[in-house]
This record gives sequence, C-alpha cells and structure tokens, in this order.
Amino acid sequence: MKRSTPTWEWLVIGVISAFFIVPMLAMSRFALQRVPMSLLGRSTLFKRWNIKGIINTISDDKFRPAFLMSARLGLLTVVVVLALLLPTVLWLHLRAMKWKMAAEVVSLLAYVVPPIALVVGVSGAYRNTFPWLVSSEYGLVPLYAILCLPFAYRTLDAGVGSLDLHTLVNASRSLGASWTYTFRKILVPNLLSAILTTAFLAFAVVMGEFAIASLLLKRTLPTYMVEAQGREPQGAMAVALLLLVLTTVLFMLIGRIQKRLPNSTSQEIRVSP
Amino acid sequence: MSQLEFAHVTKRYGNLEALSAFSLSVNKGELISILGPSGCGKTTALRVAAGFESCDEGRLIMNGHIISPVPPHKRNMGMVFQSYSLFPHLTVTENIGFGLEVRKMPKKKRDETVANMLDLVRLVDVGHRYPHQLSGGQQQRVALARALAIEPTVLLLDEPLSALDAKVRIEVRDEIRSLQKRTGTTTLFVTHDQEEALSISDRVCVMDKGVIQQVGTPRDVYENPSTNFVATFIGETNTVELNGAEVFVRPEHTRVVFDAEPNSYRGIVRSTAFTGPTQTVIVELSVDGRLVRATSTNMVTDNWVPGQEVGIVFDHVLRHTNSPA
Repeated sequence: MKRSTPTWEWLVIGVISAFFIVPMLAMSRFALQRVPMSLLGRSTLFKRWNIKGIINTISDDKFRPAFLMSARLGLLTVVVVLALLLPTVLWLHLRAMKWKMAAEVVSLLAYVVPPIALVVGVSGAYRNTFPWLVSSEYGLVPLYAILCLPFAYRTLDAGVGSLDLHTLVNASRSLGASWTYTFRKILVPNLLSAILTTAFLAFAVVMGEFAIASLLLKRTLPTYMVEAQGREPQGAMAVALLLLVLTTVLFMLIGRIQKRLPNSTSQEIRVSP
Repeated sequence: MSQLEFAHVTKRYGNLEALSAFSLSVNKGELISILGPSGCGKTTALRVAAGFESCDEGRLIMNGHIISPVPPHKRNMGMVFQSYSLFPHLTVTENIGFGLEVRKMPKKKRDETVANMLDLVRLVDVGHRYPHQLSGGQQQRVALARALAIEPTVLLLDEPLSALDAKVRIEVRDEIRSLQKRTGTTTLFVTHDQEEALSISDRVCVMDKGVIQQVGTPRDVYENPSTNFVATFIGETNTVELNGAEVFVRPEHTRVVFDAEPNSYRGIVRSTAFTGPTQTVIVELSVDGRLVRATSTNMVTDNWVPGQEVGIVFDHVLRHTNSPA
C-alpha cells in the first residue's frame, strides 16, 4: 500500500526548497531584469527582462580565456585525481587494508589545511626550486587535486567497497586476464558510476575555486567573475546563474547515466526461479 | 597419472600455519574434495593451487612442471567461487566468453564455444541476461560454464554451493559431477559439507588444522577412518566404553532392543526423533550415563517412549580411540 506523505514532511520539503529557490529567484531577477534597484517591486515583476548582461559578460575579451583556463584546469585535475586515487584505493582494498585508516586521515588534510597555508607553503617551497609550479596557471592542478581529495577519496572508496573486489579480481585473473586487462575490462566498467561522480565533483570544485587562484594571482573563471562584478555586476551574476544551471544539468545527466549502467541497483531486478 | 601435485606445501600467516607439509596428488580426470571444518586450511590449499597465495615451503607441480612461481593468469585453472563472481556489467554470454576473449579466440569460434557451454549447463535461454537477473543457482551454473569454457587443466571449486538453498544445492551439485564426468576435467572441490564431499568425489581429502588426516574414497574415509578426527568429523559417532576400551560406533550400527540380549547394554530412552527417511533414538547408558544415538530406517516401526528401559547392542566398532593414527 502506498503511504501518503504527512503534512510535516511537506513542510520540511517546502522550507528547504524555499531556502534554495528564493535566493536563486532573487539572483535571476537581479541578473536578468534591467530595472534600477530602487524600482524593483511587485509592479515591475515582469518588466524589462533580457539577457544583455550575460551577453555583455560572455562577449568580454577576458571571459573566454578565463573560462577555458578553468575548464582546462578542471579536466586536468580530474585526470590527476583519478590517476592518483583509483589505483591507490584499489591497492588499499586488495592488499593493504591496514593502511586504510591512515589513507582516510591523509585524505582529510584539505579540510584541515586552509588555502592560505597551502599557498604560502607551496610558493615558499617551490619559488626557487621549481618556479614553474608557482608561475604557471597549471601549477594550480596539484593544489586542486589536494582540495578534491576528501570527497574524491570517499566516493571512490565507497564505489570500490560496494564491489566484491577480491572475487571479481580473482575470477578475472583465474580466467587468464592480466592486472591491466582486469583493470580495464572489469574494474573500470564496474566503478564507472563512482568515477563519473568523482570526475564531476572535482570539475565542479575547480570551476568554482576562488581562494587559491586569487592568492596565487591566477586568472580563472572565479577570479574573473569577482573582477567583473565591479564593472558589470548584473552580468557577472547572470554568468554565475548560468554556471549554476549548467552544473545542475550536468549533475542530473550523470544521475541518468548512472541509472543506465548495467550493474545499477536502481534497475529493475528480475529473478527467475 | 598425476595432473596436479602439492609436494610438502607449507603456508604460514604470521605464526599460524595454515598448511603444514601438505602433500596431495590429483590424478587426471579425478574429482577430489578437500573436506574439513572452518579454518582447517582447505581454502588456503585451493588458493595456493590457483596462485592467489604463494607457498612458503614445498612445491606445486602441474603435469610435471613446477608452477609455484607462475602467476594465476598463466596457470590455466578455472575457478568457481563461494560468492557469486559473475562480472555484473557483462551478460551471461559475455561472462562465459571472457576467458576466451582474453585468449584472443576468434569471435566465431568463441560464439560457438559459448553456445556449447550454455547448452551444457542448460541455460540457452538466458544468454542475453545480466547476472542480477539470474537466480543464485543459475549464477553458479554460469560461473561453472565460464570456468569450463577455457578448458582448464584443473577446475577449482571453492565451496560453490554454500550460498544456495538446500534444494538448488543438490541440483547444482549433481550437475557439477555430471559435467565433470562428461568433460573429464580434473577437479579440486573444497567444501565443509561432508554429504556434498562424499556424494560427488572420487576421493576425499579430510583436513584439520592445516594437516591432511586421510585421503581415500568416500566409502573408505567413512568406514575405515584412520584418525579419531576423521571418525568423529565424518558422519556421526557414539563414543562408548566396550570391554574396557573406548571405541567409536556409528549410530546406524547401534541398535535398540526391547530387553537384555546377549552382549547388550542397559539404558533408558531419553528422546526420539523422526526425520523422514530415518528415526533416531537417544538412549542414556546405565553403566556410565553416556548418551548414545541409534539410527534406524523408518521401516523399523518400534515405538520407543522416553523413560523406557531398553537394551543397546553395538553391532560394529568403527575404531578404537587409542588406535594409532
């Protein structure tokens, strides 16, 4: 029998939705409505909506390079995080469970070390020894990888933990598959859901990271947007809104892909006798 | 001819010796069960054979070649695991074809082999399904087909029936034996279930604490146990004192009679149990208060009542407890 949702549950859902939706509506109005602040009211609710702000910001010469740089940094961070963490998590589960606790603690470092400490430490240590790491925009990638560690580690760890890893690996090996073949043909497809989530979260973090980029004087999308806010506050807000919508769409898309994966638990399970 | 041989294999985990100078020779086409309680080292023996564990001492020999240093993927051993081990993202057909794809078998020949295998395990209709769409019994049959598809030198079965319910377990057990006989695959079968081991094996290897207790035919280990452990582990036994010596007697060789017969012992019926094909009477011996179990077929219709004074006759002594091992 289907259970009806009690009133208090609706109330909680309503309050939480309002907490997210009201600021976004206000943000949309500020970004997309060309009405002076003092005139914003009920009577002007539907007047002078346009996307000029977005177009102005996007067509700005500095927007494109900043956006592309953030996107490139995001992709590189995804690659570095996965290349670093996926084998590590698999190794921990297969061979070194006793080190798992230590790995979990290390993965939390990004929460403990504030960005300013990271920046001061890195620039101090590498300015003379490895200056490229401080001067180049791409020097941000290792720092972003550290920033992504806490959730990337946990997402992959949960994904690997949900598999009967030993049995799958042993089955594959006993059938003649080498380690690399097993990794490519068995582990990656079964961890696709966790890999996609990790990649998406890491990308989203990089696209929104401001503190480190600003402290190291790099021009990424967030630093550009903060700068543009002074010149074209509505435009910058509109771009922020656009990014929010894009992120949400991407998130929903990943959810759908995950549901379609053959080993997804949300699939219909038919068992014949 | 010996196809797989464990020669004095010892495996240690820290201070624990999981296998102690384990020596066993498996002949071509033979099915040997390794039987023993939990933690006796039987799975370790199988994992050493598969190459998932190295041996600290001794050697593993296959077809005359030492294979101890050979990695698992180069040993050509098919394995079926206790837990369902099908690859969840592959269909039944792809699962069975996996080992053949690894071996780079041409697609046409691979498809033929997979179809033969599906036919062999009577699962032709489910080739397109994913593992989560199969029942436990079907999954283990697919796992068996997948292991046999690569034509393994030795098939290793690690308690493949323990996750299945009683009825399916018997079905799959009989299927394993029939497939093994048809394909003539040398097989090492690990189980803690003695009925399983006795019913499908050519020979049974009984293990305890990393040491082989006895290797013999099912009838041999049941009727002529060579150690006290084997006597008590395989089947049921009564431990009683007869003529001043402690001996083991099987319940089916223990008979309840109405009154004193020559050579009978006195006792009092404590309980009775009817289990379908057999019935069991538990009797407390008057001489030392030990409880003994007497099992007869349900053809015997004597109606024993708890508290009733009866006689007990021991028809056959299985083993004296102080016999040399």
